[in-house]
Amino acid sequence: MKANKKQVMTWPAMLVLLCFTLFPLLIMFTTSFRSDSTGALTMENYHKFFSNFMYIKLTGSTLLMSLLVTVISLVIAYPLAYIMAKKLKGLKNVILVLTIIPFFTNQLVRVYSWLIFLQDGGILNRLFMSFGLAENGLGILYTRAAVVIGLTHAFFPYMVVTIYMALERMDDSLIEASMSLGASKFTTFKDVIFPISMPGVMSGVTIVFVPCLGSFVEPRILGGVNGTVIGTVIEDQFFQLYGWNFGAAIAFVLFAMVLIFMGAFGALGRRWETE
Amino acid sequence: MKKGSFKKLFIGALAVAVMFSMSACGNATGTADGSASKDSSASDSGKTKLYVVNWKDYGSDDKDLIKKFEEENDCEIVNTYMQSEDDLLTKLKTSSAGEIDVCLPNCTILPAAIKADLLEPVDTSKLTNFNSLFDRFKTQKECLGDDGQMYAVPLVWGSTAVAYNTDTVKEAPTSIKCLFDEQYKGKIAFRDDYNDAVMAAALALGQDANNPSDMDAIKDLLLKQKELNKTYWQTGDEFSKLFASGQIDVGLMWSGQSATMAKDGEHIGYVVPEDGGIGWVDNFAIPKNSKNKELALKFIDYMISKDVQYKWASQGGPAPANKEAAAAIDPDYAKSAAMDEESLNRLTFMEYRDDKTKQEWNDLWTSVKAS
Amino acid sequence: MNKKTGILGKILIICVLLYLYVPIVVLMLLSFNESRYNSLPFKFTTHWYQELAADAELINSAKNSLLLALLTGIVCMVLATFFILGQRYLSKRTSGIFNSLVMMPMSIPWLIIGLSILLMVRFMGFSKSMFFVAMGHIVISLPYSLLVLRARVSSLDKSLEEMSASLGATPWTTFRRVTFPAIAPAMLAGGFLSFLISFDNFPISYFLMPNGIFTLPIEIQSSIKFGFTPEINAISTIIIGISLVVLALVGIIMRSNIKAMLGGEE
Repeated sequence: MKANKKQVMTWPAMLVLLCFTLFPLLIMFTTSFRSDSTGALTMENYHKFFSNFMYIKLTGSTLLMSLLVTVISLVIAYPLAYIMAKKLKGLKNVILVLTIIPFFTNQLVRVYSWLIFLQDGGILNRLFMSFGLAENGLGILYTRAAVVIGLTHAFFPYMVVTIYMALERMDDSLIEASMSLGASKFTTFKDVIFPISMPGVMSGVTIVFVPCLGSFVEPRILGGVNGTVIGTVIEDQFFQLYGWNFGAAIAFVLFAMVLIFMGAFGALGRRWETE
Repeated sequence: MKKGSFKKLFIGALAVAVMFSMSACGNATGTADGSASKDSSASDSGKTKLYVVNWKDYGSDDKDLIKKFEEENDCEIVNTYMQSEDDLLTKLKTSSAGEIDVCLPNCTILPAAIKADLLEPVDTSKLTNFNSLFDRFKTQKECLGDDGQMYAVPLVWGSTAVAYNTDTVKEAPTSIKCLFDEQYKGKIAFRDDYNDAVMAAALALGQDANNPSDMDAIKDLLLKQKELNKTYWQTGDEFSKLFASGQIDVGLMWSGQSATMAKDGEHIGYVVPEDGGIGWVDNFAIPKNSKNKELALKFIDYMISKDVQYKWASQGGPAPANKEAAAAIDPDYAKSAAMDEESLNRLTFMEYRDDKTKQEWNDLWTSVKAS
Repeated sequence: MNKKTGILGKILIICVLLYLYVPIVVLMLLSFNESRYNSLPFKFTTHWYQELAADAELINSAKNSLLLALLTGIVCMVLATFFILGQRYLSKRTSGIFNSLVMMPMSIPWLIIGLSILLMVRFMGFSKSMFFVAMGHIVISLPYSLLVLRARVSSLDKSLEEMSASLGATPWTTFRRVTFPAIAPAMLAGGFLSFLISFDNFPISYFLMPNGIFTLPIEIQSSIKFGFTPEINAISTIIIGISLVVLALVGIIMRSNIKAMLGGEE
């Protein structure tokens, strides 16, 4: 009975989401079933997506790219968060703040700075040349690698925050207990530390993977001829074509995929937690 | 007892949130209004506001030009900026009465806007400067509705053709095929725009760029071209920064921005090659649900006047639709910015395309990019 | 258990910070570079800062962004805290449904969310207003607050709160004494991320903003058709500078305040 009362706390957020996400998106959802030419109800937008191998291929490569960015982010963010939470005392807040500060700048401006940094004849190139490490042209810009560098940069700090929040809460005595029981460092990490930090890891994976799927700014500007992803296709439908219906259809397919992936991640995470 | 205090906490938090939102919104609106009227004073609020959907930093939003009009007509111009032509269409379709008074569509979306009954016919007899326009613009077919009335007034025109680096490319290219030439491999910047891509390829293949006959050949050419590219650029910003860093020998570029860059000291040349280029015309139109149609008309008249057009064009803008203004421009400059008659005659002007053609072209372009 | 950071750890921290700050340093340098098109070699000038000082519109748009983001951050922090605490009492199934709903604004491209809210506003016959802009910002920023909080609250023991309640503490006391101290850092961090998401948001503002009101991202996005000038780099540099100072101050004040509030407990 009391528990039921406390559910009320979820209502304000749900109300806001209902009015300003669910309801408007329902309108959009119906447009994804409308024909561009006649406005009649149709499956043609979804049919177009699934019947054209190109879109499926693009979606696949976007998924792979997002997974790659997520994994790299995890590799960078976890150790950093761990060191911050467990090894540093006063400095940890300073570093946390330092990880977040870059986000006070505009995304576009940051991406353009990467462009200036990575391009042939740009800063990195000049640095390499002054050390005699490279001749002309590194050829990093306008490749998938440049896109991954840009996207990881854009998203991994969020993951640092979520993992840090989970780890910082953990009781150090647990680690000590495990060690004193003769467990190796690795076993302690695998059986004690990692499972406890799992909620943070799952939040972090979500916070990187999901926005990555729909990103289009980094791919377009840093990827050049190699920068077409499903996000840029959606953007084109809205800004270049007035093709809302098809654009919306792709977006909802993407959302369905997000749900499936998050379900899978969640199951994976829970298994680890309970092991 | 417990329930009560919990509820209180809940309601209190909500109240705080709402209060915050009220005060912050009030503030934001307040300061923003201040910014719109630069020298904000109490008397400003009484002035008529003219809402213009514009390109940012195009010239049609030039502060000095706008200020002069504001002073002459005791009004205030509020610019809102658009992101693309189709975005303007979105804006027109989703705006409510009085939100837009003047907008700046080009020919690719005009007929769609006219057909959707979004625009007000323009009474050209009320435009004192209308007769100074070039004849071809006075009767531009995209501006005319089925009823024979004029729904938009041509403002400026320009071209999308070949820009080249005068340091590395000594002789101005004579053919648009240079954008598809092995010789410049890795030094070409092509435009990420389905319309320009298809039209440029059609021109290179000698097809009618507005009604290409062989889409497969176009796709093959674009696929081959992809290997030669440094990048596809989408915004003028990307192109100008890339060009300035010396990465580009030749590129598909706008005349206006090339002229601006040349004025800024970049070593950039611009040419509409012999086999053609893509032409475009920007027009001013008045939405049907504008509440200031008289003033909007005055504003359009002002923008097509000789003085304004001359000043705009000679500062590195696009080419004027006003022939008197065009005549006043230094011929050498006009030639370098491809505003001269020879260039004009080489252009294929972009026409309106129906949704089906658009989708078809875009699908082709997406598949080229994704391959 | 060694409390010291190994040499590897130090190298890691330095490398990550280097990676993070590469574009930021480049951006700052370019604000002092003469070329309008960011071209090298570097020639020092303060020209862009002078231009910026005269550009009332740009400064105002930055102010608007800041106010909007502050509001969004605070509201998201409050909403997310309530939601996360309440969610623990939901059945597993409802909780799952609520979760995917909450994820929605994150997994649907923002331009679609922005446009769909605009369509709804029109559908209901309202005109564009700051209220809708704020609501749009809140829904897209909320998931960030929620995810940070969830990372923390999942490990929080419900039994502690129940114990406190059974000992006769009012819900408010329980929250203040038990729950709040445990989740305060995550509340703050979550609110802060929401602030940042809102501060940098373009599509929502763009579709919903009333005529003539600009935020910084709108100014920048509208400029890229013909190219933004290093003025933008200059204002970004100033914002970074200010936020560093403010955060440092907040950090110092908060530290002493929280300590006092929690009775010295860290």
